[in-house]
Parts: sequence; C-alpha cells; structure tokens
Amino acid sequence: MSVEEAQNLIIQSVRETLSMKGLATPSIESHTALLGGALPIDSLDLAAIVIQISETSGKDPFAAGFVEFRTVEELARLYAD
Amino acid sequence: MPFPFDYAGSDPVFTVDGVEETASQWQERTAHLAAHLRDAAVSRLALLNPSGNRLAAALLACQSVECEVLLLRGTLPDDVLRKELAADAALSGSDDAPRALCAGGGRRGFSILLATSGTTGVPKIARHELATLLGRIRPAQGNLERARWLLTYHPASFAGLQILLTALSTGGQLLTLSHTTVPDLAQTALTHRPTHVSGTPTFWRAFLMTLGPRAAELPLEQITLGGEIVDQGVLDRLRTLFPQAGIRHIYASTEAGSLFSVKDARAGFPARWLEEGIDGVQLRIRESALEVLSPRAMKGYASLGALSPFHDDGWLKTGDLVQLEGDRVYFKGRTDQVISVGGAKLTPEEVEAVLLAIPGVQEARVSALKNPLTGFIVGADIVPEPGCDPNQLKATILREASARLENHKVPRRIRIVDQISLSQSGKKERLG
Repeated sequence: MSVEEAQNLIIQSVRETLSMKGLATPSIESHTALLGGALPIDSLDLAAIVIQISETSGKDPFAAGFVEFRTVEELARLYAD
Repeated sequence: MPFPFDYAGSDPVFTVDGVEETASQWQERTAHLAAHLRDAAVSRLALLNPSGNRLAAALLACQSVECEVLLLRGTLPDDVLRKELAADAALSGSDDAPRALCAGGGRRGFSILLATSGTTGVPKIARHELATLLGRIRPAQGNLERARWLLTYHPASFAGLQILLTALSTGGQLLTLSHTTVPDLAQTALTHRPTHVSGTPTFWRAFLMTLGPRAAELPLEQITLGGEIVDQGVLDRLRTLFPQAGIRHIYASTEAGSLFSVKDARAGFPARWLEEGIDGVQLRIRESALEVLSPRAMKGYASLGALSPFHDDGWLKTGDLVQLEGDRVYFKGRTDQVISVGGAKLTPEEVEAVLLAIPGVQEARVSALKNPLTGFIVGADIVPEPGCDPNQLKATILREASARLENHKVPRRIRIVDQISLSQSGKKERLG
C-alpha cells in the first residue's frame, strides 16, 4: 500500500466515524492533526480508526510498541510499504 | 439416600433426538453400567460428553456402587483423565461400557464432580453431594408430574444437571438433543411442546427470534433464566408472549450451587435479601462483588492446586460484580471480565444491558478491542431485529449509548452480524 492509499483509508475511516456521530466533516488534509481540535474525534475514536486500518491493511505497525504519530500523513506512513 | 424417582416401567422418561426412552430402559442401562463398575472396582468414573439419558443412568449406577462420577462437557486425553483428574475409568458419549484407565481404586463413596465452565485445558473440578444438589428442588406440586422439560444446557453442566435432577425427581419427562443448537431446540420445542424451559438470556433471545410468531404455540407453564445477567427487556418480552407462565431467574454457579430464584419478573434481586438472607443463603457485598454463605455450595475443589474461592469463615467469593440501586441489587459483570479503557473500568455486561434496551437491537455482545493508544476500546457486535437498516441502527446505537453511558463505555466499533455464537453452557461466547 502506498502512502496515498493509506491516507485515503484513514480519511475515509474518519469520515465514517463523523457521519455515524451525525457530525459534518471538515476538510481533511495530509497535514491535518488527528487529535487536538482540528477534527471532532477523541482518542477512543482514533483507536477505533487505527484498529480498522490495521484490519484492512493486514499490518500492525504497533506490534513492537507504540510509535508516535500526529497527522494523517504520519499515520499513513506507518502503514505504507 | 437413593435418588428419588417414581415412574412406571413403560413411562417415557427421556426423548433423545426425538427417540423415547422408558423408565425400564433407563433401569436396564443403569444395571448394565453398575455391573461393569462393580467388576472393575471403579472409584472415579469420568463421563465424557454424555447425553441426558446416559448421564442419568451413570448417576444411578455410580450411586449404587458408591463411586464418584466426574462430568465433563467434552473429551480429554486418557492420560490427563488418569493423572490429572484421578479417574480410573472413562465412559465416552455413545459407548455402553466404560474403559479402564488404570486398576480400580475401590469404593470411595458417591459424589458428583463438576467441571467449572469458562476454563481451557484441564478444568477445575467442584465436588457436590447429591443431597445438596437436590436441596432447592421442591416436592412435586401442581402438575409437575408429566411435565415436559426441554434441556437447553449441556447435561454435564451445573445448570443442565440441575434441570435433569429437577425433572427426574418430580416425575417429569426430559427432552434432550445431542447437539443443542438453537434452531434444533426450536424445532424440538414445536414438535414435543415442552411445558418447562430453562435457558440463558442469550438462549431465550435467540430462541424467540428463531420461533418468531410460532413461539405463542408453546404451552409453557414455567420459564426459567439463569447463567448470565438477566435484563429487564427479555423478562418483559417473555411476560408479554407467555402471560400464563411463571417466570423466574435463578442465581447459581458450579461452585456456589443453587442459591436463590427471583420471581417478581424484575431484573436484579431485592436489596433486603442482603440483610435477611434468602433460602438459607446469606449475602454480602465486598469490594463491589457478591459473597455468599450457602448450605448448598460445593464441598471444595477436587482438583489439585486450584485456589479455593472460600474465605476462612466459609463465605464464598462469587466473582460477580453487583451494585445497590434503591431497593434492588443489580449484577454488573464478572470481576475477571473487567475491561480497562485508558485505565477506566467497565464490564461487557453493563454495556450490553444498555444496548439491548435500544429499539432494533435483538442481541448484543460487547468485547475489548486491543489498540496501541488506549490499551482497549469497546467493540459491539449487534444482531438487528428483522427489517432494520444497518447504518441507521449503528447511528442510533451510537447516539443512545453516548446519551446513557460514560464516554469510555461507548462502543467505538459497531458491527452488524447475523448471529452471536453460544458457548456449550449456553452463554455468549467471550474471548479471553
């Protein structure tokens, strides 16, 4: 999976989360911070998004422990080949 | 004390997979097995995955030759049976004669050994006396004689054994299946029309869903729930469908024995029982969990190395979390099933109780999903009621759960599924 494909998966998953909550989706860019106010999601929502991306991609970049990430792109790079 | 039963020889006692077995056939089976046990001087017979009629024969046979009977819901290798579970003979599901595992140990006295549920590998074994197992069974009253009992539990589980003993000691007929899947049980119920059915809340929800409108055809006189937390929704549904039937939920476990039953069709139990006790059982709450002092508890574990659940003063730790709310005590889950979401605690059952009360939700199972950010989050598998739009239902669940639960308890992943599998003990299958 390329970085761009991983980014698209993440953005789609965020959109689904927000839509399920009945919230409007703000624009999401590669530099958008996942937590911290730009998006109306909390750490538990983000945890669910990470679980979903891991299941879809079949990869677990956190197998050896937590790796820090902040933006959509930083998370996508962890899943990219 | 001889096992109390009172049948004419031609009375059908069991219906196993649709085939009737009479009291004389039961007696023949018993005598045949007893002769084998006596000849081999068996001290502990392991009974592997028995059907209801075979288990009943083994109980009588072991009682007559004064040996122990160990009830197992599956099979285990012979060397485990011999070395770790101290059995000197084993009888498998469809065999007529037991096979020797080693030289017989001789007369040891009759007691019933039950494997605890929810364990993998070598199970813990709880020792019970027949007299205490029969302790809460009332003498035959009303039309219990010729009552037809549908066995929804595995016969070798504590709950299954309790139903079997109740049916047989009150002159009833036992309907059993070798594979207790819900569709098979529903078909058997429609064919043989049981008057008494006992099952877990998970069983009841799936049973009603499978029967659909035909549920009303069943001539139910007594409905019993147990084995899991009973929610108000399932009680109300049963009351509406079967207005003539008695409805009760039972609190019992392999270790604690049969403790009490609640008959007011309300979830939980009356708080005054904490002060007054109930049916000879005393109750107390310690560290949010229920403890009991019961005359019907097991005599102890018969397996080596198992940590005793008893305090020195005889009180038993049930492992069930409870909460006092007004005049009622509600069960909240198991101490060993607590999920930690970023350090905040919850039990699957308390979330399931909220989900089951949401319109459109037929069945729900909550589990912990591991993740690198918060340790775990809550996931929910949902069986929708027929005709529900899955996406709309997901949104409703999220909205309702957010309104009624603390943030960390709200399911963050909701999956719509066709069914939720049941374990051998009729409870929702839970991992870990």
